[in-house]
Amino acid sequence: MTLARTIGFIASLAVAILFIFLWHLVTLYKLVPPVFLPPPMKTYDALVQGLASGPLLKASLATLQRMLLGWLLACVAGVGIGALVGTSPVLMRYLGPTLEAFRPIPASALIPVLIAIVGLSEGMILSVIAFGALWPMLLATIHGLQSVEPLLYDVAGALRMNMATIISKIGLPSAVPDILAAMRLSLTIALILATVCEMLSGNTGLGQWLLYSARQFSSANLFAGILILGVFGYLTNALMTVAERHLLRWKSPHEANRAGIA
Amino acid sequence: MTQIGQTAQMRLEGVSLSYGAKLVLSDINLDIARGEIVSVVGPSGCGKTTSLRVLAGLVSPSGGRIVYEGTPLSGPRRDIAIVFQDYGKALLPWRTAYQNISLALETMGTDKSERPDRIHALLKLIGLGNHADKFPSQMSGGMQQRLQIARALAQEPSVLLMDEPFGALDAMTRQTLQDELLTLSTKTGATIYFVTHDLEEAVYLSDRVVGLLPNPGRVGRIFDVNLPRPRDQLTTRESPEFLHLRHELYQFVKGAEQ
Ligand SMILES: Nc1ncnc2c1ncn2[C@@H]1O[C@H](COP(=O)(O)OP(=O)(O)O)[C@@H](O)[C@H]1O
Ligand SMILES: [Mg+2]
Repeated sequence: MTLARTIGFIASLAVAILFIFLWHLVTLYKLVPPVFLPPPMKTYDALVQGLASGPLLKASLATLQRMLLGWLLACVAGVGIGALVGTSPVLMRYLGPTLEAFRPIPASALIPVLIAIVGLSEGMILSVIAFGALWPMLLATIHGLQSVEPLLYDVAGALRMNMATIISKIGLPSAVPDILAAMRLSLTIALILATVCEMLSGNTGLGQWLLYSARQFSSANLFAGILILGVFGYLTNALMTVAERHLLRWKSPHEANRAGIA
Repeated sequence: MTQIGQTAQMRLEGVSLSYGAKLVLSDINLDIARGEIVSVVGPSGCGKTTSLRVLAGLVSPSGGRIVYEGTPLSGPRRDIAIVFQDYGKALLPWRTAYQNISLALETMGTDKSERPDRIHALLKLIGLGNHADKFPSQMSGGMQQRLQIARALAQEPSVLLMDEPFGALDAMTRQTLQDELLTLSTKTGATIYFVTHDLEEAVYLSDRVVGLLPNPGRVGRIFDVNLPRPRDQLTTRESPEFLHLRHELYQFVKGAEQ
């Protein structure tokens, strides 16, 4: 297991190095004009300089903060609304179709509308991120609550549990695997939306940095920004994996394998 | 022997139950005395599980009633505990053995400071003393069923309803758990209503065995088991009385099946 993991790590490192080397060759022989694709070394310089002198660091932190805050809002709203709808047949009947109708509307389609109506203030940006990122969690919570092992309701019944206890001690815990998978998906959505919102609103952030670098034909700065977005995506995903592995450690190895977290 | 009336802790009075148009239980009358071990046998689908769910208060009879400790039963009670056949589904997989027992105490509002001692005592009683922090997925079938029994005992029940609790276990584990159950019954004095399809198990454990007939489920015959206690896996099972009862039960179920 650990040997396989070590080999996997070395292999993925080798692929990354090979990729950078190819990138280097492409730029060396100018297969793509440098205005579009900077050499790796120049990108690295732009990265170090931007981070050290401040503007790129500031933009990165702003994006990270928006992404995480928006995502947290989405988690609370998604699981909260999901718990309400998923445990109330009445709400399910009335809200279910509306939720299904809303779901396919990408949050980015909503951004122009929101800008037109209220402009993109900081609060608005967070709302857009939360709105776009809450759907997977909302639907996962509803689904998780609806697929609770029926026998557990008998267990709850024999113990005379009230509704609130059933939801908190049986319903939500058994929905946790679904919710965690959705939280991971939502992280990516939150990062994309944070960037798009910054592009459209001009608020400080990586989105704005990317747009600005592109307008200045500064491909090195552009790529430095993209690199940081990639790192954010990778790191948050890795943290989710660690969290999932811990929170779902009760699963049998077989189930964990199937869920892809072993 | 149980006399109709006075000594019954629990009585089924003309209990019938329909699911839709299907009559599942029909006019069941049965008195169960405090501390008694009653087994229920009968062909598959004859209503054994349904009768247990009615006694648990999980479903109300369509006709007749259950009288528990002198008053009509209107729903589940915490002093009536259930052990389900499918232990894999009846335990909370995300909770450890310790936490699964804790579920019962949390729900009953047992004082937080009292819980650890009681949980550890129950784990020890049921032979899981060293497995407090294991999740169900890390335990054998026998251990999981022990855990479910411990959780039921945490309710300090006066009645234990068990639905084919040992049916999915291997023969050796089953016999061990049968003996542990008999010990528990002596220790706690709990009344036990035991559904099984294993006729020898029914005779071995019980004071009486209720034979159900199918379509609709009704009491066909009640067998008194006058084997001495404590019972022993070898001598009890070899005694002529045991073999005779087993024979009669077999013929009853065989007859009920066609
Ligand atoms: N919830 C239910 N809805 C409809 N029919 C049911 C339900 N539960 C049990 N039955 C029917 O009642 C009959 C008795 O079932 P059950 O009590 O589970 O039998 P047993 O435990 O003896 O095998 C069966 O015919 C079964 O199909
Ligand atoms: Mg059954």
